[in-house]
Parts: sequence; C-alpha cells; structure tokens
Amino acid sequence: MGTLDYIWLGILAVFQGPEMFAVFGLPISVTLVMVFCGFLLGIAVGATPGLAGPVAMAIALPILISIFGYSPDALLPVMGFLIGIMKGATIGGAVPAILFNTPGTPDAYMTTLDGYPMAERGQAKKALRIAHLSSASGDTFSDLVLFVCAPFLAIFVEAYLDLPEKTALLILSLSFIAAVIGGSPAKGLISTGLGLLAVYVGTGEDFYPRMSMGTQQLARGFPITTAVLGVLIIGSAFKGLEELWQEKKSKGIIEPAAESGDQRLSFADIRRLSPYIARSALIGTAIGALPGIGSTLAATLGYTLGKNRYQKRKPAEDPDFGTGVPEGIAATEAANSSVSGANLIPVLSLGIPGNAAAVFLILAADSIGGFNPGPSVFKFTKDVVNPELVVAFGLFTAMFLANILNWTIGGVFMRSMGIMIRIPKQILLPVVLLMTLTAIYVQETRMEAIWFALGFGVLGYIMRGFAISPLPFVIAFILGGKLEDSARQAFSATGNDPFFLFTSPIAAVFMALSVGVILYAARKSKDEK
Amino acid sequence: MYSRNTSNFYLGLFCLAFALFLIFIWIPLDTDTGLVDKIRRRLVIGDALAPTIAAVFLAIGGLVLIIFERRVPSQPYMTGQNLRFISVTSFLLIISLILMRYTGPLAVWIANLSGGEPLEYRLLRDTPPWKYIGYFIGGTVMITGLIAQVESVLSWRTLRIAVLAAILLIVIYDLPFDDLLLPPNGDV
Repeated sequence: MGTLDYIWLGILAVFQGPEMFAVFGLPISVTLVMVFCGFLLGIAVGATPGLAGPVAMAIALPILISIFGYSPDALLPVMGFLIGIMKGATIGGAVPAILFNTPGTPDAYMTTLDGYPMAERGQAKKALRIAHLSSASGDTFSDLVLFVCAPFLAIFVEAYLDLPEKTALLILSLSFIAAVIGGSPAKGLISTGLGLLAVYVGTGEDFYPRMSMGTQQLARGFPITTAVLGVLIIGSAFKGLEELWQEKKSKGIIEPAAESGDQRLSFADIRRLSPYIARSALIGTAIGALPGIGSTLAATLGYTLGKNRYQKRKPAEDPDFGTGVPEGIAATEAANSSVSGANLIPVLSLGIPGNAAAVFLILAADSIGGFNPGPSVFKFTKDVVNPELVVAFGLFTAMFLANILNWTIGGVFMRSMGIMIRIPKQILLPVVLLMTLTAIYVQETRMEAIWFALGFGVLGYIMRGFAISPLPFVIAFILGGKLEDSARQAFSATGNDPFFLFTSPIAAVFMALSVGVILYAARKSKDEK
Repeated sequence: MYSRNTSNFYLGLFCLAFALFLIFIWIPLDTDTGLVDKIRRRLVIGDALAPTIAAVFLAIGGLVLIIFERRVPSQPYMTGQNLRFISVTSFLLIISLILMRYTGPLAVWIANLSGGEPLEYRLLRDTPPWKYIGYFIGGTVMITGLIAQVESVLSWRTLRIAVLAAILLIVIYDLPFDDLLLPPNGDV
C-alpha cells in the first residue's frame, strides 16, 4: 500500500459508501448527502445572529449518532456532516458580523471591525461578497496544504514541540493577543487577566473547587458557552440596543440602513484584495497546523498584519482600518477560514483541537469508536491497510467536497441570508438575545448557565464602555485550561524544574517573544501619546 | 461613551486594587493548595498558581494604565446614562427569567386548585402545553420589554412580534428534538 493507494481508498470510501439514493442510476452515497446538508445547515446557523457552528454541532451530534449508530461505517457520514457545518458556519459567520455587528464566533469578531461600518454605509452586499471570496480562497489553500503536507507536518510538529514548548507557545499566544488587540496593551492585559480568572473559578485538581466560595453553583465552574456567548454576543446585543436607545432619544426615530453604491466585486477589487487574502491564507494555514492555537489567533494575526500593510501603503486621504475597509474583511476572513483545513493536522495526529468546531470532531470520533486521533492515524503501513488512515483521507475528501460547495452555492446561499438586514435591529437584537440564552440552556440544562451568561453579558458591555476589547478575554478563557494542564505536565515531566519554560531553546525564544511583544506594544502606545 | 482624562487612572487603580485583593485575600482564603504543593514527596503545581497569574495580568495591566496610559487623549468611560440603560435592561431580564422559571409550576398549582387528580410540574415538564408555559411567557415578556425600552413605547405590534418570536424559537428548539429541554424544564 503506497500513499496514492491510501488517498484513492479514502476518496472511494466517500463516493462508494452506503447508498442513500440514486440519480439516473448513479448511486449517491450517504456521506455526500451529509456533507451537503451539513454545509447548508452550517451557513444558515452561522448566518443567524446568536447561533454558531459549535452550537449546531453540539445539537446535531447526539441526533447523528442515534441515526447512524456506533459502527465504523458511521464515521464518515457523521464527521462529514460536522465538517459541512464547520465549513458552512465559517462563511456564514461573516453574515451577522457584517450585518448586525454581532459575531457568532470569536473568529468573526475582527470581521465586524470593517464589515459592520461597510454595512452601515449601505455596502452590506459588497462586504458579504468580499467575505465569501476571501473565506473560500483561504479555505481552498488550507485544504490543499492539508492534503499534501498533513502527514509530514504532523511528524514535524510532534518532533519539535514538547510540553514546555507547547506551554510557552500558549503564553506567547496570550501575550500577543493582549498586546495587539484594541490598541492598548494595558487594556488587553486586563481583558486577558479577567478571562483567565473566569476560567480558573471552580476548577483545579484539589477536592475543593478553587475560588468557588463554598457554593455549588461556582463549584462546577463557568461553562465555556456562558463566558464566550455572554461576553461576545450578549454584551454586543446590550451595546447595540443601547445605541438604538440613544438614537431614538436624540433623533426621535431609528433609521434603517439602506443600500447605496456599487455592490458588485470588480476585477480591480479582487486584484487589490489578493495580497491580503494570500498573506492571511498563509498565516491561517500555518497557525492551524500548530496544536491548540486555533482560528481566533489566526484572524487576529491576519487582521493585524493586513492593517500594518494597508496603513503603510494607503494614500493619506483613504480611510483607516476599522472604519469599513474591504481589506480588513479580506484579511480576517481569509485567515480564519484557512485554519479549518490545516487544523485537522493536530486534530488527527495529536488529538489537540485548535477551535471549538474541532472539539466536536474529536468527540464524534471518541463516541463512535474505530478511529482514535493520535500518532497511529498517519502510519502508512504497507502490508496491511491502516483503516484509520483511510478514514483520514476520507475526511480530507469531505473537506474538499465542502470546499467545492463553498465556491459554487456558498456565496449565493450566504448572500440570501442578507435578507435579515431588513428586519429592524430593535426587533432582531432582543430575539437574538433570547435565542442565545435558549441555545445556552439547551446545552447546559440549568438556569444558572443563563444567569452566568447574563453576568458575562454585563461584563462584556462594561468592557466595551471602557474600550476594553472582549476578544483577549475569550481567548484567555479558551486557552486558560490548556495552559494550566500543559504547565502542570511540563513541570512534572521536567523533574519539577521551576525554569522549565527557559531550559529548551524553542520555549525560551517563545517566552522572550511573549515579554518582547508586550514591551514593544507598551512603548509604541507611549510614543503615540 | 465620552472621554474624560482621568478614567484610565481610576480604571488602572481599580484593577490594581482588585488584583491585590485576589492575590492576598480571595485566592489564599478560597483555595486549598498553595502556589506549589507536595503530594507523596513530589512537588506539584498547586491550584493557587493559575489564578494568581491571572491576577498578575490584571495588576500589570492596571500599572501600565496608571504609568504609561494615564494621559492618552481618548479615555472612554461609563456615563450615568450607560448605567441607567444597563440597570433597566438587567431589571427587565431578571423579571422575564423569574417569570420563565416559575409560571409553569404556578399554572400547575392553579390547575390543582380546580380539583381533580393533583398534577406535578416535574412530571409534566416534557408534556405540552405545560412545558411551553414558562418559556413562552418569560420569552414574550423579555422581547416585549426590550423592544419597548428601546422604542420608548409599548404597543400591540411589539407584543405580537414577541409572541411570534417566542413561538418560532419553540418551533426551532423543541419540536424537532425529543432530547432537548427548553428553559426552565431542566431545573424543575
């Protein structure tokens, strides 16, 4: 069995799997149908403010398993559906970010910075076209890299990043996010500190759940959905409602956004955006291939580097990033979409997810059985077929299928969701709020989760009031647990060496960069003053 | 949000004070293991270390605000209007959630007053129409209240929209799925 044989078996597993129905005598496999359905559902869910891919995956997974059962034949249809949702929700997620300033996921937060001002200027459709083009391009590039490089990169990453390096890499991610988001490193650090503090409540290794004040409610910690959806979506909904309230008080009416200007994407536009898309696709793919980092950092990094390039080259009279610049949308969407393909490398080879969507892929594999993400997946056995490797190439094929759907029907379906801008915001935002609270409840099934989410929503609102970006909070919350776990393991694995973060050259470089990036940002902020 | 040139200073001071409170009072008193701990003669990282690092992030952020960003030109802060808005919104949400939690059991209690076989909400939490009562009333009040707050007027149109939205969400989240529970049915 050679590499090409494995690729071919993977493709066949998708196209010649159990038949769902036939078109003109041509059998259509159940996996194809599931990828298609997952993709459409993903766009619809991503485009609905207050919902996001992980919510749909969380709801769909138990239903899918109850339909397909626990046999290895269930792996490709179930994971194909989840991949469809993941891809669809990535491009769909730009819709609420651009139209309503409510990012469905942390990844789409940066899209709001330029997308929403464009929508406010009546250029919503053009912003959506840019988001689709960038997202589909980044996604394609990432899938190509996944297909070609996955086995080699998996071996490379595993060889060079041990526990101390992974811990240092997580610290570098947090420092970088704190330093670059929102223009103030101090406020970035505060946001990061609050996110870490929130994730450490009620957790730990001791019998007594730390910082729980002896209460049962805090002893289980804050569920991730309450913190992420609370700070990002509920906080943003509060802010949006307040702006409408102020507008009504000052003007007496609330003006709906009307379309204005050319909504098409010209060839000149595409040529102008291409360098931003290409650069962000590279960044996203590189970050996706690293374990445990994920799409939010990619979006942030893509946006920041895109901003630097744009600010250096633009004529003085052109608008700045953050005021409705197409390059801002392109840089963000290409970066966050190009993570999903490459992210399967650490997911499949190490079992470490880089984003919330990947968590559900691992969960599906664990629940169904017959496929254990880890080093055994990429073993090219010659005498006997490695079924896990066939499934891996089957998943890559499903990624490509979703990608083709992305280019063909994705844009049209995504833009059709733009009809939601006709709904007045003062009606939509309260509905989004209730929908978000409902989505949190159906996952957590306890009222405390709703109270926590509202608390985080108020925190998100106050942070916005002080111009503190909520994104470092969210990333710190997501990475905080992983950071503590890997630090504990690294400390133990290095024989209780208190300097474990500085003994390996790679970890030491990551740590130096962590301090350097904060000092550089603080100095820059002081100089700008 | 308006600009006032002292807000960064006070925000920094607050963060610094909160961080010190965390490091010296809350974390030591509310965590059983220290920064490092000894288990079976082996040194391990204690539960207090991670939150202490979080507090250090807050403290450094506060210090940088006080020292380096004290005089930056744009310093947004919360105004009285902001506080008024978030207080009214929070009040509306609390009322709606209380209604969501208790109107279902209340409806069962009222039904029991009329005699017949006594009902128990816990046993009816997956039975229509009982399972929808709390969510429908609480959700309708929440949407109506928030729209009315923003538009500064309460109208029948607003109520109709809220009723339709609550029904739509029930259709999305409950009808297709047997294993999902709408609020508050997981708690009762």
